Amino acid sequence: MSENLYGIIARVMDVPISEINDDSSPETIPSWDSFNSYILLDELESEFKTEFTIDEVTETKNVSDIKKHLKNHGIILDD
Amino acid sequence: MPTEEKLSYYLKKSKILPNYLEKKIRIAILSSFTLNGTGETFQVKCAEKNIQCITNLGAYNQYNQEILNTESTLYQFNPDITFLILDTRSILGDLWYFPYSIDEKQRKDFVEKKFKEIQNLIKIFSENSKSKFIISNFFIPTKSNYGIFETKLKFGIQKMINKLNESLQDYISDLDSVYLFDMNGFVSRYGENNVFDPKQFLFGDIKIALDFIPHLTNDLMGYVIATLGLSKRCIVLDLDNTLWGGIIGEDGFDRIKLGSGPPGNAYVEFQKYLLGLHNRGILLAINSKNNLDDALEVIEKHPDMVLKKEHFACMKINWNDKVSNIQEISHELNFGLENFVFIDDDPINRELMKSTLPQVLTIDFPKDPSNYVKALEDMNYFNVLKITDEDKKRGKMYTQQKERKDFEKLTPNLQDFLKNMELKVTIKEADKFSIPRISQLILKTNQFNLTTKRYQLEDVQKFSEDDNVLIGCVQVEDKFGDNGITGAFIVHKDGTKEWVLDTFLLSCRVMGREIEKSILAYIIKKAKDNNVNKIKAEYIPTQKNKPIENFLPNCGFKKEGNFWEIILNETFYSPDFIKIEEK
Repeated sequence: MSENLYGIIARVMDVPISEINDDSSPETIPSWDSFNSYILLDELESEFKTEFTIDEVTETKNVSDIKKHLKNHGIILDD
Repeated sequence: MPTEEKLSYYLKKSKILPNYLEKKIRIAILSSFTLNGTGETFQVKCAEKNIQCITNLGAYNQYNQEILNTESTLYQFNPDITFLILDTRSILGDLWYFPYSIDEKQRKDFVEKKFKEIQNLIKIFSENSKSKFIISNFFIPTKSNYGIFETKLKFGIQKMINKLNESLQDYISDLDSVYLFDMNGFVSRYGENNVFDPKQFLFGDIKIALDFIPHLTNDLMGYVIATLGLSKRCIVLDLDNTLWGGIIGEDGFDRIKLGSGPPGNAYVEFQKYLLGLHNRGILLAINSKNNLDDALEVIEKHPDMVLKKEHFACMKINWNDKVSNIQEISHELNFGLENFVFIDDDPINRELMKSTLPQVLTIDFPKDPSNYVKALEDMNYFNVLKITDEDKKRGKMYTQQKERKDFEKLTPNLQDFLKNMELKVTIKEADKFSIPRISQLILKTNQFNLTTKRYQLEDVQKFSEDDNVLIGCVQVEDKFGDNGITGAFIVHKDGTKEWVLDTFLLSCRVMGREIEKSILAYIIKKAKDNNVNKIKAEYIPTQKNKPIENFLPNCGFKKEGNFWEIILNETFYSPDFIKIEEK
């Protein structure tokens, strides 16, 4: 599942999946601009069939934050 | 809801589009909120239709500056089409939340003021750009602080937006290159609760949810298709399980499903929708594998048949394959295959059509006849920017055309046939009544078109006001009826000694009757009256204009370099069987 999460991020940000890790963030990936973060949010919600709250959305700074929120939504990612 | 990809699909695909496509368009998008992704979606949707699309998205909520500053990137971008997408929240400002903080009179004044502001934007834009301008109207809020009492209020929030929409519609209805996109219709079709996502709005001022950007772009593509003259002109229909339920050859006249109750009413509904399209100028034709007599019996005698024989411009009811049938229809109607939509309930027939004739638009027709109407409604291939009188009469004209063809078969000799046609051409200089039709012909005519120069309505308008240009149109009548305005020409008169034929075309409906010679005779006469002794012309070959290839040499033009020339010292004979009237 973790691969799937990385895969989605890589696809939305248009970078190779090998460049994605838990520390990936708008600081480390140039294409991760604000619009792409809306797209990412929308993709994650559809893929994992869940909805993030606006607090979660604004608090998200990097990939590990996304993992944390998904976990709180009861979504198990294989590490 | 029509199937649509997610926005991310378009964003990804837009990065891998081909570099060169046959047709080009430049689209500018201005908006009062975040509409990122619209440009990429346009690029992909255009590429699917062989159109190379370059887009320019105005800076966030900078539409006023972009339009009012004539040096802005908007004008430098030089768009063909400009969309201005505004939203109700932005236009109302605080009144969105507290509409009743001011009284009725103030609310009316507010609406008037907003209308004037938008009107001014339209004026400034039109004065400074040749682009078509499409502005969205405003969606009418469905929620109110007053709850169910809202509709009792005098000039309440709903009425305010209604009034603004009405004023805009009235204003743009007389403007030539300005159009109103029905955003209110868009929102109500998909539902406010779907189109508006509160989290996306608060997070990024996204007022059309990302999932609906592709739907919106799809609607707006209607303007692109119409601007480029790619609208479809003829629907080719199967009969069994398409216009009626069941198979006439097996079920028989009394057993097919067609009538006032379900399921037969689904077919009646579909036929009524098709008749509506026919009435505004979309041609209908039949392509069916059946015994001709069985099918004709239904068409002529079934009490619930809405579409009658006279509504079909062409009928191919036989046991030939559908591909050759549609090629024959194309030949008989004198329309290229790219003008056709093919409708058939059988997926095998559709696959065959798609793979053999990709130019024909074969739609994936739903299994359930209750969805037939929706399938056609959802495709925006019948959009045009202008509906002329010729369009409304077109269906009838083609029925007359069928009679002409039959007459041609009866008369063995072409000269005799033409003599007996009682042809009359009326040649007029362009005026405000004929300009829309001239522009339409210029954008659509492919075959008998000398230069295939495409001019938009605004260009035609300018030519008509230019003293150095002779621009005219030709109406053709014969013993079977009026073909309407079916020819046009543009002549540059800048030189004192020579004129240049810029555009010369005839609709395929009236080709092969030597009408072109009568038109040329008219132009030559005008030239001589002005002491001009030479007319120059250019033939620009395209994939489709072979029918006009020999027109210039046949009329006595001689090749000089890249141009063809005719010296006007001898009498030019125009066909004596065509009566010419000048107006």
